[in-house]
Amino acid sequence: MAEKDEDSLIGFDPLAWMHRSDFNQDSQRDDVDKLESHAASAFVSENAEVPGQAMNHDEEPTIASESFPSEQGERAILVLEPVLNIQNVALLHQRLTQMLSNFEAIDIDASGVMMIDTATLQLLLILKQTAIGLQKSISIDFPSDKFIEASELLGIAEMLEVDQVASGFF
Amino acid sequence: MSARIVAVLNQKGGVGKTTTSVNLTHALAKLGKKITVIDFDPQSHLAVSLGVVDPQKSGIDRVLLEGVSLAQQLISVRKNLNLVVAGPRLQEIEQLMDGGARSGDLLRKALLDGHRDEDFIFIDCPPSSGVLVANALFAADEILVPMTSDYLALQGLSHLMGTIKKFESALKRPYKISLVMSRYIPTRRISKEVLSVIQKYFPGQILATTIRETALLAECPSFGKTIFEYRPGCRSARDFTALAKDFLEGRMM
Repeated sequence: MAEKDEDSLIGFDPLAWMHRSDFNQDSQRDDVDKLESHAASAFVSENAEVPGQAMNHDEEPTIASESFPSEQGERAILVLEPVLNIQNVALLHQRLTQMLSNFEAIDIDASGVMMIDTATLQLLLILKQTAIGLQKSISIDFPSDKFIEASELLGIAEMLEVDQVASGFF
Repeated sequence: MSARIVAVLNQKGGVGKTTTSVNLTHALAKLGKKITVIDFDPQSHLAVSLGVVDPQKSGIDRVLLEGVSLAQQLISVRKNLNLVVAGPRLQEIEQLMDGGARSGDLLRKALLDGHRDEDFIFIDCPPSSGVLVANALFAADEILVPMTSDYLALQGLSHLMGTIKKFESALKRPYKISLVMSRYIPTRRISKEVLSVIQKYFPGQILATTIRETALLAECPSFGKTIFEYRPGCRSARDFTALAKDFLEGRMM
Protein backbone atom coordinates (compact mmCIF):
# COMPACT_ATOMS: atom_id res chain seq x y z
CA MET A 1 0.00 0.00 0.00
CA ALA A 2 1.02 3.57 -0.41
CA GLU A 3 2.51 5.71 2.26
CA LYS A 4 -0.09 8.30 3.27
CA ASP A 5 1.02 11.82 4.01
CA GLU A 6 -1.84 13.56 5.81
CA ASP A 7 -1.42 16.76 3.77
CA SER A 8 -1.06 14.97 0.46
CA LEU A 9 -3.79 14.94 -2.17
CA ILE A 10 -2.55 11.53 -3.29
CA GLY A 11 -4.27 8.86 -1.21
CA PHE A 12 -3.45 5.38 -2.43
CA ASP A 13 -0.29 5.40 -4.53
CA PRO A 14 -1.02 3.19 -7.55
CA LEU A 15 2.66 3.05 -8.55
CA ALA A 16 3.87 1.75 -5.19
CA TRP A 17 4.26 -1.78 -6.58
CA MET A 18 7.13 -0.55 -8.75
CA HIS A 19 9.32 -0.14 -5.67
CA ARG A 20 8.39 -3.46 -4.14
CA SER A 21 11.39 -5.68 -3.61
CA ASP A 22 9.30 -8.77 -4.25
CA PHE A 23 8.38 -7.58 -7.73
CA ASN A 24 9.29 -10.68 -9.66
CA GLN A 25 10.31 -10.65 -13.28
CA ASP A 26 9.70 -14.41 -13.54
CA SER A 27 6.10 -14.07 -12.51
CA GLN A 28 5.77 -11.33 -15.10
CA ARG A 29 7.19 -13.66 -17.71
CA ASP A 30 4.57 -16.22 -16.78
CA ASP A 31 1.92 -13.62 -17.31
CA VAL A 32 2.97 -13.07 -20.88
CA ASP A 33 0.70 -15.88 -22.01
CA LYS A 34 -2.18 -13.89 -20.65
CA LEU A 35 -1.34 -10.69 -22.48
CA GLU A 36 -4.06 -8.70 -24.12
CA SER A 37 -2.66 -9.85 -27.42
CA HIS A 38 -2.15 -13.59 -27.36
CA ALA A 39 0.09 -12.95 -30.34
CA ALA A 40 2.70 -11.52 -28.02
CA SER A 41 3.84 -14.71 -26.35
CA ALA A 42 3.90 -16.71 -29.55
CA PHE A 43 5.88 -13.96 -31.22
CA VAL A 44 8.45 -14.01 -28.47
CA SER A 45 9.04 -17.72 -28.69
CA GLU A 46 9.57 -17.44 -32.43
CA ASN A 47 11.80 -14.38 -32.38
CA ALA A 48 14.45 -14.82 -29.74
CA GLU A 49 16.89 -12.72 -31.75
CA VAL A 50 15.10 -9.40 -31.21
CA PRO A 51 17.94 -6.93 -30.68
CA GLY A 52 18.41 -5.48 -27.20
CA GLN A 53 18.70 -1.86 -26.28
CA ALA A 54 19.98 -0.44 -23.03
CA MET A 55 17.55 1.53 -20.96
CA ASN A 56 18.79 5.02 -20.45
CA HIS A 57 18.96 5.91 -16.80
CA ASP A 58 22.08 8.01 -17.03
CA GLU A 59 20.57 11.47 -17.13
CA GLU A 60 20.68 13.39 -13.88
CA PRO A 61 17.43 15.03 -12.78
CA THR A 62 17.33 18.73 -13.53
CA ILE A 63 16.32 21.08 -10.74
CA ALA A 64 14.16 24.00 -11.81
CA SER A 65 15.77 27.34 -11.16
CA GLU A 66 14.01 30.40 -9.81
CA SER A 67 14.82 32.53 -12.74
CA PHE A 68 16.75 31.91 -15.87
CA PRO A 69 17.09 33.27 -19.36
CA SER A 70 15.41 31.08 -21.94
CA GLU A 71 17.42 29.51 -24.70
CA GLN A 72 15.49 31.39 -27.33
CA GLY A 73 17.91 34.31 -27.07
CA GLU A 74 15.55 37.24 -27.24
CA ARG A 75 13.16 35.95 -24.63
CA ALA A 76 13.70 35.55 -20.90
CA ILE A 77 11.71 33.66 -18.32
CA LEU A 78 11.30 34.68 -14.70
CA VAL A 79 9.63 32.40 -12.20
CA LEU A 80 8.09 34.46 -9.40
CA GLU A 81 8.63 33.49 -5.76
CA PRO A 82 5.59 32.27 -3.77
CA VAL A 83 5.67 35.28 -1.42
CA LEU A 84 6.15 38.72 -2.95
CA ASN A 85 6.15 41.74 -0.67
CA ILE A 86 7.80 45.07 0.05
CA GLN A 87 10.83 43.31 1.54
CA ASN A 88 11.86 41.77 -1.75
CA VAL A 89 10.40 44.19 -4.26
CA ALA A 90 13.70 46.09 -4.65
CA LEU A 91 15.51 42.91 -5.64
CA LEU A 92 12.75 41.99 -8.07
CA HIS A 93 12.87 45.50 -9.52
CA GLN A 94 16.61 45.19 -10.05
CA ARG A 95 16.27 41.80 -11.73
CA LEU A 96 13.42 42.85 -14.00
CA THR A 97 15.16 46.07 -15.03
CA GLN A 98 18.21 44.07 -16.00
CA MET A 99 16.15 41.56 -17.96
CA LEU A 100 14.22 44.29 -19.71
CA SER A 101 17.41 45.88 -20.93
CA ASN A 102 18.82 42.56 -22.16
CA PHE A 103 15.82 40.86 -23.74
CA GLU A 104 13.06 41.69 -26.19
CA ALA A 105 10.44 39.76 -24.26
CA ILE A 106 10.00 38.50 -20.72
CA ASP A 107 7.68 35.68 -19.69
CA ILE A 108 6.82 35.89 -16.02
CA ASP A 109 5.63 32.60 -14.58
CA ALA A 110 3.23 33.53 -11.78
CA SER A 111 1.83 30.05 -11.21
CA GLY A 112 3.46 29.61 -7.81
CA VAL A 113 2.47 32.94 -6.27
CA MET A 114 0.73 32.45 -2.92
CA MET A 115 0.90 36.04 -1.66
CA ILE A 116 1.54 39.29 -3.50
CA ASP A 117 1.32 42.84 -2.20
CA THR A 118 0.46 46.10 -3.92
CA ALA A 119 4.10 47.17 -4.17
CA THR A 120 4.93 44.16 -6.33
CA LEU A 121 1.79 44.53 -8.42
CA GLN A 122 2.62 48.17 -9.05
CA LEU A 123 6.13 47.19 -10.07
CA LEU A 124 4.76 44.67 -12.58
CA LEU A 125 2.31 47.22 -13.96
CA ILE A 126 5.04 49.84 -14.44
CA LEU A 127 7.25 47.20 -16.02
CA LYS A 128 4.51 46.31 -18.50
CA GLN A 129 3.93 49.97 -19.41
CA THR A 130 7.65 50.62 -19.73
CA ALA A 131 7.98 47.59 -22.00
CA ILE A 132 5.21 48.88 -24.27
CA GLY A 133 7.08 52.17 -24.60
CA LEU A 134 10.22 50.25 -25.56
CA GLN A 135 8.25 48.05 -28.00
CA LYS A 136 9.10 45.03 -25.90
CA SER A 137 6.70 42.51 -24.43
CA ILE A 138 5.96 41.26 -20.95
CA SER A 139 3.56 38.41 -20.41
CA ILE A 140 2.41 37.00 -17.12
CA ASP A 141 1.99 33.28 -17.61
CA PHE A 142 -0.40 31.03 -15.72
CA PRO A 143 -1.12 33.40 -12.83
CA SER A 144 -2.24 31.64 -9.67
CA ASP A 145 -5.68 32.31 -8.23
CA LYS A 146 -4.05 34.45 -5.53
CA PHE A 147 -2.27 36.55 -8.14
CA ILE A 148 -5.46 37.09 -10.12
CA GLU A 149 -7.46 37.87 -6.98
CA ALA A 150 -4.95 40.49 -5.80
CA SER A 151 -4.68 42.15 -9.19
CA GLU A 152 -8.47 42.27 -9.49
CA LEU A 153 -8.74 43.85 -6.03
CA LEU A 154 -6.30 46.53 -7.13
CA GLY A 155 -8.20 46.98 -10.39
CA ILE A 156 -5.26 46.19 -12.65
CA ALA A 157 -6.07 42.63 -13.78
CA GLU A 158 -7.03 43.79 -17.25
CA MET A 159 -3.95 45.96 -17.60
CA LEU A 160 -1.75 43.09 -16.53
CA GLU A 161 -3.72 40.75 -18.80
CA VAL A 162 -4.12 38.15 -16.11
CA ASP A 163 -7.74 37.16 -16.50
CA GLN A 164 -8.22 33.44 -17.20
CA VAL A 165 -8.82 33.82 -20.93
CA ALA A 166 -5.83 36.07 -21.50
CA SER A 167 -3.68 33.69 -19.50
CA GLY A 168 -4.35 30.84 -21.86
CA PHE A 169 -6.68 28.75 -19.75
CA PHE A 170 -9.87 27.48 -21.31
CA MET B 1 21.03 5.12 -40.88
CA SER B 2 18.15 3.57 -38.96
CA ALA B 3 15.35 5.67 -37.58
CA ARG B 4 14.51 5.77 -33.89
CA ILE B 5 11.05 4.28 -33.57
CA VAL B 6 9.02 5.96 -30.85
CA ALA B 7 5.60 4.75 -29.70
CA VAL B 8 3.52 7.56 -28.20
CA LEU B 9 1.58 5.41 -25.81
CA ASN B 10 -0.85 5.59 -22.95
CA GLN B 11 -3.93 3.42 -22.91
CA LYS B 12 -5.81 6.14 -21.04
CA GLY B 13 -7.71 8.56 -23.25
CA GLY B 14 -7.42 12.33 -23.10
CA VAL B 15 -3.84 12.48 -21.87
CA GLY B 16 -2.53 14.32 -24.92
CA LYS B 17 -1.13 11.52 -27.09
CA THR B 18 -2.31 13.02 -30.36
CA THR B 19 -1.59 16.60 -29.33
CA THR B 20 1.93 15.52 -28.40
CA SER B 21 2.37 13.52 -31.61
CA VAL B 22 1.20 16.39 -33.83
CA ASN B 23 3.09 19.22 -32.21
CA LEU B 24 6.24 17.43 -31.12
CA THR B 25 6.75 15.93 -34.57
CA HIS B 26 6.18 19.29 -36.23
CA ALA B 27 8.57 20.93 -33.78
CA LEU B 28 11.21 18.31 -34.56
CA ALA B 29 10.60 18.74 -38.29
CA LYS B 30 11.05 22.49 -37.92
CA LEU B 31 14.36 21.78 -36.19
CA GLY B 32 15.44 19.94 -39.35
CA LYS B 33 14.78 16.35 -38.35
CA LYS B 34 13.16 14.05 -40.90
CA ILE B 35 10.04 12.56 -39.36
CA THR B 36 7.41 10.02 -40.28
CA VAL B 37 4.40 9.89 -38.03
CA ILE B 38 1.96 6.97 -38.19
CA ASP B 39 -1.67 7.44 -37.18
CA PHE B 40 -2.19 4.14 -35.40
CA ASP B 41 -5.56 5.04 -33.93
CA PRO B 42 -8.61 3.98 -35.98
CA GLN B 43 -10.27 7.26 -34.93
CA SER B 44 -7.79 9.06 -37.25
CA HIS B 45 -7.47 12.10 -35.02
CA LEU B 46 -3.81 12.61 -35.84
CA ALA B 47 -4.52 12.90 -39.56
CA VAL B 48 -7.39 15.30 -38.92
CA SER B 49 -5.16 17.42 -36.69
CA LEU B 50 -2.66 17.66 -39.53
CA GLY B 51 -5.37 18.67 -42.01
CA VAL B 52 -5.86 15.30 -43.75
CA VAL B 53 -9.57 14.58 -43.49
CA ASP B 54 -10.44 11.97 -46.14
CA PRO B 55 -11.85 9.05 -44.08
CA GLN B 56 -11.62 6.63 -47.01
CA LYS B 57 -7.94 7.21 -47.71
CA SER B 58 -5.93 4.07 -47.07
CA GLY B 59 -2.80 4.14 -44.97
CA ILE B 60 -1.20 1.86 -42.42
CA ASP B 61 -4.24 -0.45 -42.69
CA ARG B 62 -3.22 -1.51 -46.20
CA VAL B 63 0.39 -1.86 -45.11
CA LEU B 64 -0.56 -4.29 -42.36
CA LEU B 65 -3.43 -6.12 -44.05
CA GLU B 66 -2.31 -6.25 -47.66
CA GLY B 67 1.45 -5.94 -47.43
CA VAL B 68 1.64 -2.64 -49.33
CA SER B 69 4.97 -0.92 -48.67
CA LEU B 70 5.04 1.88 -46.14
CA ALA B 71 6.77 4.17 -48.62
CA GLN B 72 3.72 4.02 -50.89
CA GLN B 73 1.48 5.30 -48.12
CA LEU B 74 3.57 8.30 -47.06
CA ILE B 75 1.93 11.69 -47.39
CA SER B 76 4.13 14.74 -47.16
CA VAL B 77 2.18 17.01 -44.83
CA ARG B 78 4.80 19.56 -43.84
CA LYS B 79 8.46 20.17 -44.64
CA ASN B 80 10.43 17.20 -43.20
CA LEU B 81 7.20 15.64 -41.91
CA ASN B 82 5.49 12.63 -43.52
CA LEU B 83 2.22 11.14 -42.37
CA VAL B 84 0.82 7.64 -42.74
CA VAL B 85 -2.91 7.81 -42.08
CA ALA B 86 -4.80 5.08 -40.22
CA GLY B 87 -7.08 4.08 -43.06
CA PRO B 88 -10.66 2.82 -42.83
CA ARG B 89 -9.70 -0.83 -42.17
CA LEU B 90 -7.25 -0.33 -39.30
CA GLN B 91 -9.84 -1.43 -36.77
CA GLU B 92 -9.81 -4.88 -38.42
CA ILE B 93 -6.37 -5.48 -36.95
CA GLU B 94 -7.93 -5.68 -33.50
CA GLN B 95 -9.97 -8.66 -34.70
CA LEU B 96 -6.97 -10.38 -36.27
CA MET B 97 -6.51 -13.40 -34.05
CA ASP B 98 -6.11 -16.13 -36.66
CA GLY B 99 -2.60 -15.06 -37.56
CA GLY B 100 -1.36 -16.01 -34.10
CA ALA B 101 2.11 -14.67 -33.50
CA ARG B 102 2.25 -12.82 -36.76
CA SER B 103 -0.66 -10.51 -35.97
CA GLY B 104 1.48 -8.80 -33.32
CA ASP B 105 4.49 -8.47 -35.58
CA LEU B 106 3.00 -6.81 -38.63
CA LEU B 107 4.13 -3.25 -37.95
CA ARG B 108 7.69 -4.19 -36.96
CA LYS B 109 8.11 -6.06 -40.23
CA ALA B 110 6.58 -3.23 -42.24
CA LEU B 111 9.03 -0.76 -40.73
CA LEU B 112 11.99 -3.01 -41.53
CA ASP B 113 10.99 -2.99 -45.16
CA GLY B 114 12.56 -0.38 -47.42
CA HIS B 115 15.41 2.08 -47.09
CA ARG B 116 14.09 5.38 -45.96
CA ASP B 117 15.96 8.29 -44.48
CA GLU B 118 13.89 9.32 -41.48
CA ASP B 119 15.54 10.32 -38.22
CA PHE B 120 12.43 9.33 -36.28
CA ILE B 121 9.29 7.31 -36.81
CA PHE B 122 6.54 8.18 -34.34
CA ILE B 123 3.57 5.88 -33.77
CA ASP B 124 0.52 7.63 -32.33
CA CYS B 125 -1.14 4.74 -30.49
CA PRO B 126 -4.84 4.28 -29.76
CA PRO B 127 -6.18 4.60 -26.20
CA SER B 128 -6.48 0.85 -25.73
CA SER B 129 -4.29 -2.15 -25.07
CA GLY B 130 -5.13 -4.63 -27.81
CA VAL B 131 -3.42 -5.99 -30.91
CA LEU B 132 -2.64 -2.53 -32.29
CA VAL B 133 -0.75 -1.55 -29.16
CA ALA B 134 1.03 -4.92 -29.18
CA ASN B 135 2.17 -4.13 -32.73
CA ALA B 136 3.43 -0.74 -31.63
CA LEU B 137 5.33 -2.25 -28.70
CA PHE B 138 6.98 -4.91 -30.86
CA ALA B 139 8.05 -2.28 -33.37
CA ALA B 140 9.21 0.47 -31.02
CA ASP B 141 12.69 1.13 -29.68
CA GLU B 142 11.39 3.62 -27.18
CA ILE B 143 8.15 4.71 -25.59
CA LEU B 144 7.00 8.24 -24.98
CA VAL B 145 4.22 8.36 -22.40
CA PRO B 146 2.12 11.55 -22.28
CA MET B 147 0.76 12.00 -18.77
CA THR B 148 -1.78 14.35 -17.33
CA SER B 149 -1.34 15.41 -13.74
CA ASP B 150 -4.47 13.95 -12.21
CA TYR B 151 -4.94 10.99 -9.97
CA LEU B 152 -6.66 8.70 -12.48
CA ALA B 153 -3.80 9.21 -14.89
CA LEU B 154 -1.48 7.84 -12.18
CA GLN B 155 -3.71 4.81 -11.92
CA GLY B 156 -3.55 4.42 -15.71
CA LEU B 157 0.23 4.78 -15.64
CA SER B 158 0.45 1.95 -13.16
CA HIS B 159 -1.52 -0.30 -15.50
CA LEU B 160 0.56 0.80 -18.48
CA MET B 161 3.84 0.07 -16.68
CA GLY B 162 2.56 -3.40 -15.87
CA THR B 163 1.93 -4.02 -19.57
CA ILE B 164 5.30 -2.57 -20.60
CA LYS B 165 7.17 -4.68 -18.05
CA LYS B 166 5.48 -7.81 -19.38
CA PHE B 167 6.61 -6.94 -22.89
CA GLU B 168 10.13 -6.15 -21.69
CA SER B 169 10.27 -9.45 -19.93
CA ALA B 170 8.87 -11.34 -22.89
CA LEU B 171 11.04 -9.61 -25.50
CA LYS B 172 14.10 -9.71 -23.22
CA ARG B 173 14.94 -6.09 -23.91
CA PRO B 174 14.24 -2.94 -21.94
CA TYR B 175 12.57 0.01 -23.60
CA LYS B 176 13.85 3.50 -23.27
CA ILE B 177 10.87 5.13 -21.56
CA SER B 178 10.31 8.88 -21.39
CA LEU B 179 7.34 10.69 -19.95
CA VAL B 180 5.97 14.04 -20.98
CA MET B 181 3.74 15.99 -18.64
CA SER B 182 0.95 17.26 -20.85
CA ARG B 183 -2.16 19.33 -20.17
CA TYR B 184 -0.30 20.54 -17.09
CA ILE B 185 -2.06 23.13 -14.96
CA PRO B 186 0.70 24.63 -12.81
CA THR B 187 -1.65 26.47 -10.49
CA ARG B 188 -3.29 23.28 -9.23
CA ARG B 189 -1.85 21.64 -6.15
CA ILE B 190 -2.82 18.18 -7.39
CA SER B 191 -0.71 18.77 -10.53
CA LYS B 192 2.41 19.36 -8.45
CA GLU B 193 1.72 16.39 -6.22
CA VAL B 194 1.11 14.02 -9.11
CA LEU B 195 4.29 15.26 -10.77
CA SER B 196 6.16 14.69 -7.54
CA VAL B 197 4.92 11.09 -7.34
CA ILE B 198 5.91 10.45 -10.95
CA GLN B 199 9.37 11.94 -10.35
CA LYS B 200 9.83 9.50 -7.49
CA TYR B 201 9.26 6.49 -9.74
CA PHE B 202 10.76 7.83 -12.97
CA PRO B 203 13.84 9.83 -12.01
CA GLY B 204 15.63 11.14 -15.07
CA GLN B 205 12.86 9.94 -17.36
CA ILE B 206 10.48 12.92 -17.44
CA LEU B 207 11.19 15.42 -20.21
CA ALA B 208 12.18 18.73 -18.67
CA THR B 209 9.47 20.87 -20.27
CA THR B 210 5.87 20.51 -19.15
CA ILE B 211 3.20 21.16 -21.76
CA ARG B 212 0.78 23.50 -20.07
CA GLU B 213 -2.95 23.32 -20.70
CA THR B 214 -4.15 26.08 -22.97
CA ALA B 215 -7.27 26.75 -24.97
CA LEU B 216 -5.21 27.18 -28.13
CA LEU B 217 -4.04 23.57 -28.08
CA ALA B 218 -7.65 22.44 -27.95
CA GLU B 219 -8.60 24.77 -30.79
CA CYS B 220 -6.00 24.05 -33.45
CA PRO B 221 -7.07 20.50 -34.51
CA SER B 222 -10.37 21.83 -35.81
CA PHE B 223 -8.45 23.92 -38.33
CA GLY B 224 -6.08 21.08 -39.27
CA LYS B 225 -3.18 23.16 -38.02
CA THR B 226 -0.38 22.52 -35.58
CA ILE B 227 0.17 25.03 -32.83
CA PHE B 228 3.06 26.52 -34.85
CA GLU B 229 0.66 27.38 -37.65
CA TYR B 230 -2.39 28.25 -35.58
CA ARG B 231 -0.68 30.65 -33.18
CA PRO B 232 3.06 30.86 -33.80
CA GLY B 233 5.05 32.14 -30.87
CA CYS B 234 2.34 31.50 -28.29
CA ARG B 235 3.13 29.84 -24.96
CA SER B 236 2.15 26.40 -26.22
CA ALA B 237 4.27 26.74 -29.35
CA ARG B 238 7.21 27.70 -27.14
CA ASP B 239 6.48 24.74 -24.84
CA PHE B 240 6.60 22.31 -27.75
CA THR B 241 9.76 23.84 -29.18
CA ALA B 242 11.42 23.45 -25.79
CA LEU B 243 10.07 19.89 -25.51
CA ALA B 244 11.52 18.99 -28.91
CA LYS B 245 14.93 20.24 -27.77
CA ASP B 246 14.59 18.26 -24.53
CA PHE B 247 13.73 15.17 -26.56
CA LEU B 248 16.72 15.55 -28.86
CA GLU B 249 19.18 16.40 -26.11
CA GLY B 250 17.81 13.96 -23.51
CA ARG B 251 17.10 16.80 -21.08
CA MET B 252 15.05 15.45 -18.20
CA MET B 253 13.62 16.74 -14.91
